[in-house]
Amino acid sequence: MGAAVPRIALVLLGLAVLASLPFVLDPYWLRIATGILMWAGLACAWNIIGGYAGYISFGHSAFFGIGAYAAGILMGNRYGLPFGVALLVGVVAASVVAALIGWPTLRLRGAYFAIATWAFAEMLLQLANILEITGGTAGLTLPPLLDERFFFYAMLVAAVVTYGASYFLLERSRFGYRLKAVRDSEVAAESLGINTTLVKIQAFVLSAAIPAAFGSIYAYWITFINPTSVLGAYIADQMVVMVLLGGLGHFWGPAIGAVSMYLVNRIIWTEWANTTAYIAILGAVIAAVVLFLPDGLVSLWPGTRRLRLVRALARQMGRLSPRTGTAEEKP
Amino acid sequence: MTLLLQTIANGVLIGGLYVGIAIGFALAFGVLDVVDFAVGEWVMLGGFLGFYLWQWLGVDPFFLLPVAFLVFGVAGYLLAPLIYRVRSGSYARPALMALAFTFGISLIMRGSTLTLLGFNTRTVTTQVGQQTFMLGQIALPGLRVVAFAFALLVIAAFLIFLYRTRLGLAIRAVAQNRQTAGLMGIDVKRVSAIVYALYAALTGMVGVLMAAIYSVNAEVGIRYTLFAFFVVVLAGLGSISGVLAAGLFLGILEALSAVYVGGSYTYLIVFGVLYLALVVSPHGLLRRGARV
Repeated sequence: MGAAVPRIALVLLGLAVLASLPFVLDPYWLRIATGILMWAGLACAWNIIGGYAGYISFGHSAFFGIGAYAAGILMGNRYGLPFGVALLVGVVAASVVAALIGWPTLRLRGAYFAIATWAFAEMLLQLANILEITGGTAGLTLPPLLDERFFFYAMLVAAVVTYGASYFLLERSRFGYRLKAVRDSEVAAESLGINTTLVKIQAFVLSAAIPAAFGSIYAYWITFINPTSVLGAYIADQMVVMVLLGGLGHFWGPAIGAVSMYLVNRIIWTEWANTTAYIAILGAVIAAVVLFLPDGLVSLWPGTRRLRLVRALARQMGRLSPRTGTAEEKP
Repeated sequence: MTLLLQTIANGVLIGGLYVGIAIGFALAFGVLDVVDFAVGEWVMLGGFLGFYLWQWLGVDPFFLLPVAFLVFGVAGYLLAPLIYRVRSGSYARPALMALAFTFGISLIMRGSTLTLLGFNTRTVTTQVGQQTFMLGQIALPGLRVVAFAFALLVIAAFLIFLYRTRLGLAIRAVAQNRQTAGLMGIDVKRVSAIVYALYAALTGMVGVLMAAIYSVNAEVGIRYTLFAFFVVVLAGLGSISGVLAAGLFLGILEALSAVYVGGSYTYLIVFGVLYLALVVSPHGLLRRGARV
């Protein structure tokens, strides 16, 4: 990367290209681009708690679902509120829920945190199946808006805000350093006077509010939601896989992972009209990444991090002794 | 009153099988220090193996249980070195990586079963336990009684192995402290592989029974993953008697909520209790909660 000015120019250029996509792409690819933006944003949000704070959450589908149901309930026939209000309510609701469950849940670590968040998300799924206001298993229908460009730009704005917030809050602020300190050693961070509980809850709320916004936009875009489509575990699963594939705790990791996984998803869908194979592929990607590329695709970028995959393969072929060249252990 | 007793009896009978699922899982958790997200998928695969062997060979599923034990034992033994490698590798966060790895394995199992065998639900029927036993006013379906008895037998054999053999002693030593156990000359890697194989074998075998009692489809794994987590979390790690109590409790809780609250609330209640148990008492219920 060059100096600061070219980098800003690069970002602006990228944004300009993205903003012009609706005028270039045909409707099919525009929908795919919209989906990529959504998953890039979701993965980025998950990376805040999973990558920067080091807490693997399997429950982020809950927050996506809260946003989607806020849109579904408030924009439906009974209330008929405008989209903006519904989105705002969804984000606030998800933030409040995240703060409330974050306080007790973030005391757990590792696998226990993962199980607790998973259990919580499944609880919400079961609730949505039972409650009347969510339409039960039948789901809810939203007023349709047949304007693909609107949804593309809505997702684009949400994704840009997500990445902007993530950049300034995590890479360029004291909060980001505090968070990374908590991840690397909670005891050490606490001994430095960091209020670790507060930092973790802040990160959790931030990483929960963003999926709610995407959930609202998604519900309005798809116009029909039911418990499994917006609260299903596969939403959280996919966020986890995308971030792991791209690079856990790396700024650009989620975007790279989201683009690759979403394209794989769409290709499988259009080629074989089959979504079940995608589940197996998700699993195979996680397993392969963990075994061969634990720092994700970003570590393949020359000069940024060491090439674990190449090294692992070379090691297996016996050309390298197990420990040569591993000067730095931590990414 | 009869309904209540009947419900509790049903819960106890099915709870015995939940213990069978969770006991190997708890041991693997203790020895490998890895939460295996694939636990329910082993149950699911066991059910499918039972179904297809029964279809092809025409042998009663009950006689296929040893076959399932062997098949999944071998499968687990082959998979174990990978999990061991991830858990003790030179990663920045091995515990999280191992968690993600087993989660990936579970997705592979579920996804490939869905792709290869489809969504259809299969039912395994057995000639064993066709009659119903009566205990006063309470009716005990023969199949469940036999399955419960078999589960008890297996659990007893498992406990004898764990507490009365040298290998069992080595396993318990590794569960207590892998480093010290390694220093005492125990081959930690081999012990881990044996434990994982034993766990996969036990869980897959119970899967055959589950398919005979209920039925099996490719998406049933999540349910058993939830149940195994529930039992281990409530039991507290390292407590075998805790697993026994928590498994029976889960069976009774499930039966009671299905009868008195409604079938659609069962999962809400089970997930709710699991979440509350984790949150309310992370160190009391899970003695090693802070370690992972």
